[in-house]
Amino acid sequence: MGTTASQLGKDLLSEYQELTFLTKQEILLAHKRFTELLTKDEKDHQNTRVSMERILTLPELKSNPFRKRICHVFSTSEQKDGGLTFEDFLDLLSAFSDSATLEIKSHYAFRIFDFDDDGTLDRGDLEKLVNCLTGETDDTRLTTEEMRQLIDNILEESDIDKDGTVNLSEFQHVISRSPDFVSSFKIVL
Amino acid sequence: MKELVALSTQDRIRAIRDLPVSFQEKKHIRCVLHHEYDKLYIKSARQSLELWQGTLKEIGGKFGSSVLSYFLFLKWLLMFNVFSFLINFGFITIPLLVHGPSPSNVTFRGLEILTGAGYFAHTVLYYGSYSNQTLLEPVEYDMQLSYFFTIAVFMVLCKITLIYSMSKSFQENYVPADSSSSSAWLLLTGWDFTVINEKAVRQRKDNLRESLSESAQSELLTRSEKLKHFGVHLGCWILSTGLAVGCGAGVYFLCQYEQKTLLVPFVVSLFNLVIPLFYSLFNKFEVYSSQRSQIYTLVGRNVLLRMVILGVLCHYWMDVVAENFQCWESRVGQALYRLVLFDFFFLMLGSLFGEFLSNVIGTKLLLHLGVPEFDVARNVLDLIYSQTLAWIGIYFSPLLPVMQMIKLFILFYIKKVSLIQNCQPPRRSARAAQMQTIFIFLLFFPFFLGALSVVAYTAWSLSPSEQCGPFRGLNKTFSVIESWMEDVDELQGSRWAAWIYQNIILSQIFFFLVTLIVLVIIYVFWQVSQGRKELIGLLKQQIVNEGKDKSFLLDKLQKLQSSRKKNLKRKKKKRVGHAGPAESRGGGRRSVGPGPPTEPRSVRLQRPHSGHAGPTAGAE
Repeated sequence: MGTTASQLGKDLLSEYQELTFLTKQEILLAHKRFTELLTKDEKDHQNTRVSMERILTLPELKSNPFRKRICHVFSTSEQKDGGLTFEDFLDLLSAFSDSATLEIKSHYAFRIFDFDDDGTLDRGDLEKLVNCLTGETDDTRLTTEEMRQLIDNILEESDIDKDGTVNLSEFQHVISRSPDFVSSFKIVL
Repeated sequence: MKELVALSTQDRIRAIRDLPVSFQEKKHIRCVLHHEYDKLYIKSARQSLELWQGTLKEIGGKFGSSVLSYFLFLKWLLMFNVFSFLINFGFITIPLLVHGPSPSNVTFRGLEILTGAGYFAHTVLYYGSYSNQTLLEPVEYDMQLSYFFTIAVFMVLCKITLIYSMSKSFQENYVPADSSSSSAWLLLTGWDFTVINEKAVRQRKDNLRESLSESAQSELLTRSEKLKHFGVHLGCWILSTGLAVGCGAGVYFLCQYEQKTLLVPFVVSLFNLVIPLFYSLFNKFEVYSSQRSQIYTLVGRNVLLRMVILGVLCHYWMDVVAENFQCWESRVGQALYRLVLFDFFFLMLGSLFGEFLSNVIGTKLLLHLGVPEFDVARNVLDLIYSQTLAWIGIYFSPLLPVMQMIKLFILFYIKKVSLIQNCQPPRRSARAAQMQTIFIFLLFFPFFLGALSVVAYTAWSLSPSEQCGPFRGLNKTFSVIESWMEDVDELQGSRWAAWIYQNIILSQIFFFLVTLIVLVIIYVFWQVSQGRKELIGLLKQQIVNEGKDKSFLLDKLQKLQSSRKKNLKRKKKKRVGHAGPAESRGGGRRSVGPGPPTEPRSVRLQRPHSGHAGPTAGAE
């Protein structure tokens, strides 16, 4: 632990502490886990971007149905390849941490569920969301009829202004009525 | 930015953190602001001291947050008991030990661990061996008063803590019941990101698919089916209430052997282990519309059983033991010690039978039963019951929290091993957060309030034993305060304290007025909440109307634009075009402007809810 602390530097550490919801221990642990993903010569560079494939070898993300979306949402990469720098990684952990607010969590959940990145959840997004949760293969997927009924139900329930899509504020309204969301939208290293 | 600068450092940090932008942008904002900051060391120190953090993460990772809530509850209770132990030990036991306890001439034989009598009867474990003197060295310390006030303050602190955590939990998790909403979204947003075990994830996916396709099909019941279900419910309720009353009667009958044998604690714990299994069996025959009502019914019946048993026991202690025995408080303390101990044995047996055996049966003998799930509701009720015993016992045996601490500590590991070895992750996702709220509520009412009233009744109305304990020779425990107040009244400087005691604590009018005020406040709040409910309805309607307006306007816009395009095309055909695309687009937008105001107004007049559609005027 002591060596990682010196690697990060005191100033950097307190900056990270200030900008995220993470505690010192959590940041140090994140740093340790992140450097384990780097190859030897990458370790010397600051702000190396780790490819999505390597990030997804972490057991915390490995079997998560939204793993790729999570990487894409938190990645600041210009090639849109889902690679994460250490700071992106901290951002991810911060949003999924215990002390992050409902506002933050629901915002990122919305972006994760918004598969086509167009700012609203339309029928296509909802279908992809359901497929992600049930599994993509043919035998686990819902039938077309069930899927249609389900999406109708969802829109009936949450599309308050009846425009056929769920926007961020409608989504946050739904989230505010499901108290388990905060405790389940959580990834701890 | 300007808003951010105006905030205090702490608020600023929070505000920056709350921005849903990427890390680099946050960093940039911070650099621009460039300020001094407070370090959040306290929080990180607390984090590193967190008990069982790794284990809890492992459990959450495999079994999800509903099972995790049981372990968090256990941990919370453990902390609670550590706290009560520190209070009791610090203010009651240490002064006595400093003073020098009366030496006991009974030797330790080993069996006492089971019975709690004999050697232990003369130790600081029980009420009986506390002295009623005032210590003079090193400081003047009145044992009677300290005993009374420690217990009283402890109870009040418990009450405040419970009310506080209950209200916090309600605030966070209470969801206004919306009958129209289906559970589809709850299922979608309820995905547990804490679950990281591959197998568990796959299983959750399967379960979720089932519940999703269930929720897609709505079912309606005919009247005869409803009647049948109601009949089954009624039958099960009668049967389970009968069982609870029967258990109570059995315990009442056995109480006469209480002092000689270990029969009572054994039978009580046996009832607590076996009867809930019957209740779970009843549950299999009943049909419930939702899983939540199923769990609530089960919890309700179990609470009833425990209350009946505890009620009978308390009645026996207060009425029979208090009349017939010398040093009866210590006797009650011993009885509670035995109950706590046997409860512990049976909890271990419960893990063995409830989880291990049904795992063996499910995997080897009756394959269709499958691997059992961890029954959160039943296990939490067991915890609540044992905590109630500790609360009742606090007056009779001030060091009972030590027992409770050890018990909870060992139980954590036993339950963890049993869970990981024998159980599978829950098939249906229970509403963990709401369950937690219900558990804390149950802990407070009826269990804590019950324990409180037992202790209060003992202090107010029963006469303490004459031979032993801090209150020997008094009419009732509360007389301590009366005589103390007389002393206080004679001191010149503290007349006011005596006056407060005489005119406020003892006056009925004061409490009558307080009750009245509280009732009025409750009524006002209730009215406010009713008003808000109405307002919510109106606002919802308004949103729908605005949505309609929006889609109407968009339609109009599209029509206008397409007709405009046609016109343009026609014009283009006439004079072979100079107009660039940008210009034509801009022209289109400008020309749309005057269109809408005439159209929607007429539509708004036709609409029944025109009153709510007011704000559309702004949209124009």
